[in-house]
Amino acid sequence: MLLASFKTMKLKIDDSILLNVEKPAKYTGNEWNMVKKNLKDVKMRFAFCFPDDYEIGMSHLGLKILYHIMNKREDTYCERAFAPWVDMETIMREKKIPLYTLETYTPLYEFDMVGFTLQYEMSYSNILNMLDLGGIPILSKERTEGTPFVIAGGPCACNPEPLADFFDFFVIGEGEEVIHEIIDEYNAWKESGEARNDFLIRVAKIEGVYVPSLYDVSYNEDGIISSVIPNNSEAPEIIKRRIIRDLDSVDYPDDVIVPYIGTVHDRIMLEVFRGCIRGCRFCQAGFIYRPKRERSHEKLYDIARNSVEKTGYDEISLLSLSTSDYSSLPDLCNNLLEFTEAENVSLSLPSLRVDNFSLGLMEKASKVRKSGLTFAPEAGTQRLRDVINKGITNEDLISSVRLAVAGGWKHIKLYFMIGLPTETMDDVEGISDMGISLLESCRDILREKGSTLDITLSTSCFVPKPFTPFQWEPMDSMETLMEKQYHLKNLIKKRTRKIKYNYHDAKLSFIEAAFARGDRRLGKVIYTAWEKGCKFDGWDEFFSFDKWMEAFEECGLSPEFYANRSRDYDEVLPWDHIDVGVSKKFLVRESKKAHVGDLTGNCTAICSKCGAQSFKTGICTQIRRRVSYDD
Amino acid sequence: MMIRFKFTRGPELKYISHLDLLRVFERSVKRSRIPVAYSQGFNPRQKIVFGLPMSIGLTSDCEYADIELAEDIIPDDFIKAMNEGLPKGVRVVEAVHMTAKGNIMNQIKSARYEILFEIINANESIEISDYVNGMLNKKEIIVMKKSKKGKKPVDIRPLIYSLSAIEEESGLYKLEAFISAGAQDNLRADLLMEAFGQETGLDIRIISQHRKALYTSVLNRWKDPFEVAND
Repeated sequence: MLLASFKTMKLKIDDSILLNVEKPAKYTGNEWNMVKKNLKDVKMRFAFCFPDDYEIGMSHLGLKILYHIMNKREDTYCERAFAPWVDMETIMREKKIPLYTLETYTPLYEFDMVGFTLQYEMSYSNILNMLDLGGIPILSKERTEGTPFVIAGGPCACNPEPLADFFDFFVIGEGEEVIHEIIDEYNAWKESGEARNDFLIRVAKIEGVYVPSLYDVSYNEDGIISSVIPNNSEAPEIIKRRIIRDLDSVDYPDDVIVPYIGTVHDRIMLEVFRGCIRGCRFCQAGFIYRPKRERSHEKLYDIARNSVEKTGYDEISLLSLSTSDYSSLPDLCNNLLEFTEAENVSLSLPSLRVDNFSLGLMEKASKVRKSGLTFAPEAGTQRLRDVINKGITNEDLISSVRLAVAGGWKHIKLYFMIGLPTETMDDVEGISDMGISLLESCRDILREKGSTLDITLSTSCFVPKPFTPFQWEPMDSMETLMEKQYHLKNLIKKRTRKIKYNYHDAKLSFIEAAFARGDRRLGKVIYTAWEKGCKFDGWDEFFSFDKWMEAFEECGLSPEFYANRSRDYDEVLPWDHIDVGVSKKFLVRESKKAHVGDLTGNCTAICSKCGAQSFKTGICTQIRRRVSYDD
Repeated sequence: MMIRFKFTRGPELKYISHLDLLRVFERSVKRSRIPVAYSQGFNPRQKIVFGLPMSIGLTSDCEYADIELAEDIIPDDFIKAMNEGLPKGVRVVEAVHMTAKGNIMNQIKSARYEILFEIINANESIEISDYVNGMLNKKEIIVMKKSKKGKKPVDIRPLIYSLSAIEEESGLYKLEAFISAGAQDNLRADLLMEAFGQETGLDIRIISQHRKALYTSVLNRWKDPFEVAND
């Protein structure tokens, strides 16, 4: 802990610091639309922390939404903090400057609540580092009266166990409504004069809130969990994920902060829907955000217009897991295009399925050069695509690519995963076959146009994630993954020079996999790795595999136990007391179907009774469909 | 219709790069709904040209830009609208209609700077003006200038028109420099200070750099860029 002596200080960050770091504007705040409030008028101060660099964090929609929603309350002030880049951290530690928020330059330890978003496992070490820099005890049990409550949400919160030691509580699911309940409870608790722990018991009663200290976990001799039991009668046995039933009913930010420096997604983001109807079996997002719920195209149009006016951005991007599945896409695009063309705003449409309609749309929408087009077949053979329920055929892909090439696209990128359940070397070779067959099938168009085509094949390593049908599967060992990567690399090199091949670091994926399905015991490992200097693990230049392996070893835990072990369907999983909506029964069904290559239809075609019907909203209530299972 | 305008940059916005500053203006123009003209083609851009790049850390009283508009606006309304959309730290202070050809980027020829600095290895009594005169008496001053292809030696003596320095308070000095600037033969203030340290053997730490004025040149006479907006 750096310092925690005197209260309400506003830090001074001067030129001797700022002119000695890269991109100093990451640390100065004052961007357009930054919210300013009089501290005397607010009861509750919340520091929203993004455990990565400013340029990444400022691209995150969740931050924008919660910042907007909290700051609409007069009694609350939500501010922002990001992980300082290493050059800045060095100076901060040297000069004993605690991590501060950009709005008021207030150290983190002065806040009522400090909230982190958990976007990916490899940012966990940054959380510890930020708490330490912010003068807050890293372990929740060491926090006392007057220390901020440290909370977290986001996709990785659906298995919060590896972080149980560090957070006072987690919020499972969407935050727009539950955050109000938490703030109200906080204000009531503060007025009551109760002890710190009483607040935790108060929030434990809010649906979607998980207070890890109120649960005891016991283990069998083999290291597998035997039970997770509440140790307080107020704590629910199962924590149910929160969702917004009607997206049009919640506020959406049209006055987002406009950073001075370029960020990863430096544009207006229009979230068209949440959830996904597809059910690709490897994809966590496809299950944990169910059911699919749309924003109306009228509302989206208003948000778009107001956003351009209030931010001055010249680009709008639609955001969802699969843009083509938005039911009023033609209406939305036609209206938006009319306005964006008049205002010189460009519209980008990511994650579209390629067909005549979407190509025409892209042509009209982005006047930008036809640089690259990306497809995600995910697996190289039909057999394996059936296993993962990726409803795309070779013919689909060839006709899409032919359309794109005929339309003038010259670079095609294809994403695959290596290490999917049941994968053999034949499937791996199928990735190369697919690249070659695409090249060949476009030859006639290319000859006619006198054009060329670059194909890039890119593979990531499959990491089994909680709440997917593959949550019981062993991950391929690092050796197997690397063997497959080298084999594919050599094969492609032998066959053609027109195809480029990229692949991800298997070591990074291995560590990610251990934490994705980890339990509480891993807290020690994260702490030890942080002590060894691990941070920014998602960045190649900082990730240290050796330090992580040392940390596991020193804690007497094996990453293989978490990453490479096959689980039985009846094993108690670390996240079994969290209910995201999809039932275990459904996931078991999907897992069994995967192993025989049976497809499951998407939610508009057929209801598979995944469990999300219990939310009684979105796609589950909209269309009459066939129902598959009777249970 | 063209408008030439002058703006200032205060300490609040000095931590951003030139490219970031251009973006600040583009977005402000959009927020203020100024009827700017756009370039044709795949990627339409606002037609704004800036006089001279500003490096991180530099503040200024006197930056210039030319903007092409699709509709006429009275310069005073332009100033008002721009300032509504600009963040604290950047202010448009003056604007005129422009009829003359030529853009500001090619017209800027010289700049006046005020640079505050400390001398780390200073002896008790430094007569700073002696050092400055010593520098001015050099026939050539070779420094390594960064370019796209790495560093190369450049003689910057011809780019220095006048220099003078005083001790503001104990240990804190102020250099006033009038030097070449613009698309050709640009001399950055920090490079000048590097050369000053190199030639005098003083260990210099820049405290602040401030641009006081920019000039164009007409028939060997320095002129305010507004003076040539309607020539």
